[in-house]
Amino acid sequence: MSEALLSLNGVSVRRGSSMVLNDVSLDLTSGQLALLKDRNGAGKSTIIEVASGLLPLEKGEVLHNGEVLIDATGRSKRPKSAFGLTLQSDGCVGSLRVEEHLLNALDLSGGRVDVDPWLERYNLAHRKHDLIAHLSGGQRRKVAMLAGMLPGFVGQVPRILLLDEPAAGLDAASRTLLVEDLHKLRNRGNAILLASHHADFTACATHLLTGNTMETNEAFEESKGVTDNMKSSSHKNNPAFRTGFLLNQRTLSTVASNGIAGFLTLGILLALVDASAVDSSLMQASGLFLSAAFAAGLVGDNMVSMLHEHRALDWWKAHRQGIPNSYIHGLLLGSGLTALTQLGFDVAISWPLLAIGGLLTISTMVMVRWMDLATSRLARPRAAYTRILTPILILPFALLVQWITDSGLL
Amino acid sequence: MDYRFWPVVNAIIESKRFGGTSMTKRLAEAILLLGFIGIGTTLGLAFLKAPSVSINAFESPDAQRIFYWHVPAAWSAFIAFGFLFVGSALWFFRRSDLGWKMHVAGAQAGLATGLMTVWSGMVWGSAEWGVPWDWTDVRLNTFGLLTFLAMFLVLGRQAQIDGVETRDTFSTFGLFGFVLVPVTYVATRLWQIRHPGPVIGGGESGSLNGEMALILLLGAISFTVFIFGHVLMSMRITSLEQRLERIQEAKDEA
Repeated sequence: MSEALLSLNGVSVRRGSSMVLNDVSLDLTSGQLALLKDRNGAGKSTIIEVASGLLPLEKGEVLHNGEVLIDATGRSKRPKSAFGLTLQSDGCVGSLRVEEHLLNALDLSGGRVDVDPWLERYNLAHRKHDLIAHLSGGQRRKVAMLAGMLPGFVGQVPRILLLDEPAAGLDAASRTLLVEDLHKLRNRGNAILLASHHADFTACATHLLTGNTMETNEAFEESKGVTDNMKSSSHKNNPAFRTGFLLNQRTLSTVASNGIAGFLTLGILLALVDASAVDSSLMQASGLFLSAAFAAGLVGDNMVSMLHEHRALDWWKAHRQGIPNSYIHGLLLGSGLTALTQLGFDVAISWPLLAIGGLLTISTMVMVRWMDLATSRLARPRAAYTRILTPILILPFALLVQWITDSGLL
Repeated sequence: MDYRFWPVVNAIIESKRFGGTSMTKRLAEAILLLGFIGIGTTLGLAFLKAPSVSINAFESPDAQRIFYWHVPAAWSAFIAFGFLFVGSALWFFRRSDLGWKMHVAGAQAGLATGLMTVWSGMVWGSAEWGVPWDWTDVRLNTFGLLTFLAMFLVLGRQAQIDGVETRDTFSTFGLFGFVLVPVTYVATRLWQIRHPGPVIGGGESGSLNGEMALILLLGAISFTVFIFGHVLMSMRITSLEQRLERIQEAKDEA
């Protein structure tokens, strides 16, 4: 028997106060497709999320290619081979274009295929450059489904594909195409875990998972003739960085949230502090010049709240290759605000202070972002009051100001 | 899971029914009442009996009487933060229900006594130093942050559904936050600027004599009793909340 690509060993998961999965085990080898078709609330989506390493385990472990992805002690590791993932809530941000999201999914898997034939096949070619927010629910679902499926066509190495209700909201014609594509993916050796209510998929499933037991599907119809001649190329870059940059350019979120806080602080300082009384050798001066940059950083990284849309944050987290951020914009904003503050107080621009201002905004942003990400698992992450903890950053700010003054940087 | 490593507290909190027996209810209330009486007595003695301090040693000698409230409140805040830490650790590492109750009780008690300390300190600081807060004093700031942490834990928990995600997240913050306690204590010795050194365990320079020491001792004991009563009461309320949730879940499944 070949080695399992995906293994769940005695997995138990607690959500809220109840146990939603209890001692589930399954092994999925190359070329197998397991269909989860239990009733609502039976834990289908939970199994998909567990298999992607998104949920902490009460007991057991999840293995990808024989290596631990996550276990009950909290140990978590990036898988050697990237997997495809379609979450029940799409996992895509509305401010990205259709093509960009698909290329992200491909880049995360370390290669590329031509997406145009796929968009054509699912009648999305005319929407290729549209923002995902402008699509209908069914079209958005197709994009999410393709993002989970296309990594299976990259390279010759079999991958794990985790597809949660990929056909939800799809018309009958699209479902037929999807069944055909699942055959192709399986024939390429991919191991597929599919959750769906639709009866269309029963024929392409080699196994059925009901409750805690996985059994061979008697209704499985072999389709050896269904193959593909997809060509893929290796492609290495950082999609998280690129996406963060793109989203910031498109939504101006850093300027609109962090920038406004910084500019307001600067305005208040200019209104209340007498510029002629500021002595640049005093400790207050460095604190004053860096205040706007600090205030901008305290707002945190707006990218986190943008990624809460349709659970895109979880989609990025599951791939364990970084989460889009706004650091570059934070650096520029912090430096710019520090320069403006110095000019506002009629002081010659200090270049080292500009660099410190930029780094201060980024580091403050990183800390607040960390707090936001740490509370993202909660049922109501936006009601976690993490901002109450931001005064914790005043102490390092004060130490920085003290250091600048003592070192005579100004 | 039920770790009976602390049989006395466990017996009080988990006895008979989740809401506790009438005897244990009265015990928590009695302890709390005793604490209140002690605190009231301390206040009375501080204003009426405590000796006046030298006008050479203090800018505002009358305001020094706040000390009999401020120091015991800070002492009890550290006890509360201790409960918070132990509770967080017990939940995080052993998934102990009792640990979670201690976390909740510690956070609430820490917020109450932390605010008492900060508020009384600011009043005293205004009179003695001319400013309510000294941003350059590490000890003040770290203590303020501990109080903010307690506020975050209390408000954050109340906004979430009780469950393993909520407990994991907040107990993690509880564990991280406790690092501030030794930092605050060490800061007292390393970066002492305006704020006086520790009265408890502070060596010869921090020792007190006569009536002052007695009133302060009464205050410390009273606040300690108050904290224990508060923690017991709070743990019982958490038990009742959990009982209510179990009843609701049973009705959902019916």
